[in-house]
Amino acid sequence: MTFSLEIVTPDGLIYKGEAEMLSVRTADGVIGILPRHIDYVAPLGMGEAVIKTPDGTRRAACIGGMVAVHNGMVRLVATTFEWAEEIDLERAKTAEDKARSLLSRSDLSERDLKLADARLRRALVRQSVGKGR
Amino acid sequence: MAGVSMKDIKLRIKSMESTKQITKAMEMVASSKLRRAQARVQNSRPYFRTLYDTLNTIANNTENFASPYLEAREVRKTCYVVIGGDRGLAGGYNANVLKMAWERMEGTSCCVVPIGKKSLEFFQRRGSEILTDLYAEAGDDHVGDCFSMAKMLAAGYSSGEFDEVHVIYTEFVSMLAQTPASLKLLPLEYTPMPGDTESACETLYEPDSESVFEAIIPEYLGGVIYGALCEAVASEQGARRTAMEAATSNAEDMIASLSLKYNRARQGAITQEITEIVAGAET
Repeated sequence: MTFSLEIVTPDGLIYKGEAEMLSVRTADGVIGILPRHIDYVAPLGMGEAVIKTPDGTRRAACIGGMVAVHNGMVRLVATTFEWAEEIDLERAKTAEDKARSLLSRSDLSERDLKLADARLRRALVRQSVGKGR
Repeated sequence: MAGVSMKDIKLRIKSMESTKQITKAMEMVASSKLRRAQARVQNSRPYFRTLYDTLNTIANNTENFASPYLEAREVRKTCYVVIGGDRGLAGGYNANVLKMAWERMEGTSCCVVPIGKKSLEFFQRRGSEILTDLYAEAGDDHVGDCFSMAKMLAAGYSSGEFDEVHVIYTEFVSMLAQTPASLKLLPLEYTPMPGDTESACETLYEPDSESVFEAIIPEYLGGVIYGALCEAVASEQGARRTAMEAATSNAEDMIASLSLKYNRARQGAITQEITEIVAGAET
């Protein structure tokens, strides 16, 4: 049994088709969505998304946005969504180092601190998803 | 006399030709950038639509639900996000959008978030209150920038720093027409859907509808700003392409008329020479 899944980001439509299972990290923790889920809306956190399709399982780094289930149709509206095989590990590593060196400084304003922290977490998510491929 | 003017004309033709080459090259660059910008506008649309739909559904279906983002309050200060270009030579692109923004702003209490170097320069010159100049480069627009800007705007709005947020950009109507447009971001306007409250009661919001709503707002704003930016970039390239096309054809016209003049002068010089020789032989 499958449900229809649509994944969109500002860069375009990433995936449209049938899926057997979707697992994403929401702001409250990881949830799994199976067919015939009730209508549901939750904002997304940063983490790994796993999608089980009839053709196999795919993993991705999924950051920000929301997931909505409406009448059995699942929509994943993400700020960034990168398939595990498309992640640039080197870039993520450089981003991590940069963020860490920024965080170790003490003269940062609160806003910069938050930005650097978010950057670090994004880099870590990307790396953990990218390495597991 | 004929010789001097012939040389002058030749020089002018040469300089016209090099100008034409430049405008032609700029036209080509603009049209290739325009294609990319158009594709991006198209790509970002489904994202934006889905966000808006969800927001609309939540806003509609949740009764006794108050969010500061939905409530219109007395407007004491307005915040304008004005999207211009980084460079000139795009016909009336910058002038049109900035003029419209200024008409709205003049005499009111407001602050601006300029996007694009031209926009920043314009408001600096007028001495407007500039909220931030972090986003001065429209060309290197990055989705992340739009989202951080949206977060800042949402925070500023809920803390009462300003009571309305508008974005002023240039709408890409077609290759040949781009019109400045204004969009109200906050407070949010949603279209009420009659009936259909039944399905909503069953919807599960986690942790609850209000926090979902609050979390989605900045996302939505970021999406709208990104969409407007995509439109503006496409418009800029379109305007530049049209302007450069006109410049190229003007240069061609000038070259044609100058060549005609040149040839006439050359012929005149030859005729004169022959007359002089014949006159000399006869005497």
